[in-house]
Amino acid sequence: MSALERMAIQQEAALAQRVLQLRQWQQILNEELKSGAFAVPVHLAMGYEALAVAVDEAMGPGDQMVLTHRNIAYHLARGGSIEPVLAEYRGSEQGLAAGRLGSMNLTQPARGIVYTSSILGNNLPVACGLALAHQTYNRSDVVWVVLGDGSMEEGAFYESLLFAASHQLAVVFLIENNDHSLASTIAQRRCRIDGASLCGAAGVPFASLSGNDAALYRERLRQVRRRCQSGGPACVEVALTMFNQHAGPTPGWPSDPKRISIEDGLLLEPHSRDPVYLALACLEQAGEKILA
Amino acid sequence: MPEPFLHPAPVNYISAINRILIETALLHPDLVQMGENINKGSCIGGMTRNLPGRVLNIGNCENTHCGVGFGMMLNGASLALYVKQLDFLLLGLDQIVNTYNLIRCQGQSQALGSFTIVVIVCDQGMQGPQSSCNTLADLCSLARVDGYTLTNLAEARHLLGQYLVRPGFRIIALSQRLFHSPVLDPEILYTSPNGGMIQYSDGPDLAIVCFNFSLPQGLRLAAECGRARLSTRLFSAHPVLPHAWDMAVEAARSTGRLVAIDDGKGVNSIAYLLAEEVRRRAPHCQVTVLTRPEVSWTVGADRFEIDYQALVEAVRV
Repeated sequence: MSALERMAIQQEAALAQRVLQLRQWQQILNEELKSGAFAVPVHLAMGYEALAVAVDEAMGPGDQMVLTHRNIAYHLARGGSIEPVLAEYRGSEQGLAAGRLGSMNLTQPARGIVYTSSILGNNLPVACGLALAHQTYNRSDVVWVVLGDGSMEEGAFYESLLFAASHQLAVVFLIENNDHSLASTIAQRRCRIDGASLCGAAGVPFASLSGNDAALYRERLRQVRRRCQSGGPACVEVALTMFNQHAGPTPGWPSDPKRISIEDGLLLEPHSRDPVYLALACLEQAGEKILA
Repeated sequence: MPEPFLHPAPVNYISAINRILIETALLHPDLVQMGENINKGSCIGGMTRNLPGRVLNIGNCENTHCGVGFGMMLNGASLALYVKQLDFLLLGLDQIVNTYNLIRCQGQSQALGSFTIVVIVCDQGMQGPQSSCNTLADLCSLARVDGYTLTNLAEARHLLGQYLVRPGFRIIALSQRLFHSPVLDPEILYTSPNGGMIQYSDGPDLAIVCFNFSLPQGLRLAAECGRARLSTRLFSAHPVLPHAWDMAVEAARSTGRLVAIDDGKGVNSIAYLLAEEVRRRAPHCQVTVLTRPEVSWTVGADRFEIDYQALVEAVRV
């Protein structure tokens, strides 16, 4: 095995380890939630780990992120530590925002997370404004704004897409499609939205991602970022499975069939729907290759 | 004692404000200015004609435009958003209330830029029921946004000069009713540091405080009082917190009489708050609040009528 091949394997393994670390931190938070440790509502994102790690690694040093209420995976990925998040949820001055922002509006400006809103669609125009400021000052930084399949239903999505396209703003619209808005699936609440057609109508490049391969996600997102830097927005829709309830501890609602416990390990489902499944496989393969 | 002044300048209201906007924008080369039809057609009734610098003609996405302003502000840039009607801003309320609150709450690691909405209030009554929304203070109170209503040249010069580009967020409103009238040009005697209270005359007989776009009525009342040899202390008050009402309260206390005027159609006029403050701090003061107890929801001239002679007679007694 050449040094180059060995390095590539090690890089993929490091990425897989980050996915596992994010799951472990969320499991810890889930145990805290179960014990009633937080007064603020916390929206876990078990199942989002591969995407969060990939976005973190695709971002440039001056890039900015604009998040939703389900922001935990990105905060952990960008911050690289659970303690400030735990402290924030506990309302401590040692928290990421000195206990002033809690969970749903948490920001981390030092790591580029500059605005977070729990109101569906609210963050999209703000992202456009951030990008317009970059353009005004001739900066090539990109703004990554996260929305869900619920926010796609808001007029602000359409408006912001048009605004970003009309003024050639470097915005990545990152749609986390987990098929849920609160307790309603997409089929239970609306017609299907063809993201490619919608974006295509405004001349916005569109890409779909699925499968939770963090290395592949990272590469695709880097390509998207380069495209945005050359002028104009892009939209990426990512298929996700969420393994926790909408908010609160898991089990959260009395009807929740899931029973997630840190005692049962990191893997929640032996399938590629669970990013941990792929991460574990990646690490196993890396070990075998290096040993061979 | 100087008479309050109804000396019109040779240009009309909207041309005068357009000129001030141009002059102010020239002082801020990094200012981005945007609006629907900002440089097309009538240029928003003439308000934005020939604006200098980077001017974006934008689509009909008011909610997004408000959010863009806050995004610019977060990144330290300056944006002026020009809006044709106050009613259109209702589509941006989520941003004006929630986003502004979040930005204020989270504290910034870098200095905030400037976001100013310059909006026309369609208060001439011909827009139909939708023009019932004519009270800037109502909108401002939803998120404690600073607001300024421009009724004359001196105020426009001062307030646009101070607040068109300044870190933070505020709304500056114009009155469509005044657009084609000769612009009033009264002399300003005093301005509170936050721009919330502006004094135009200083007399011993009556305190007049005008809210929203009622300063022309206040000037007329002051002139009528002058003809009756009564001298007035006249103020315009803007929805800016904290209320800079000390001078008005003192004027009410020392003259013994206060007339508070508000041409807004909302039911929560801040003229009542001032009246309450005066009654508390100067219990012997005679207080009159003139608002609009009834409003029409149909198309019509919708003028805010005041019986000036009756008021003057009441003061003389």
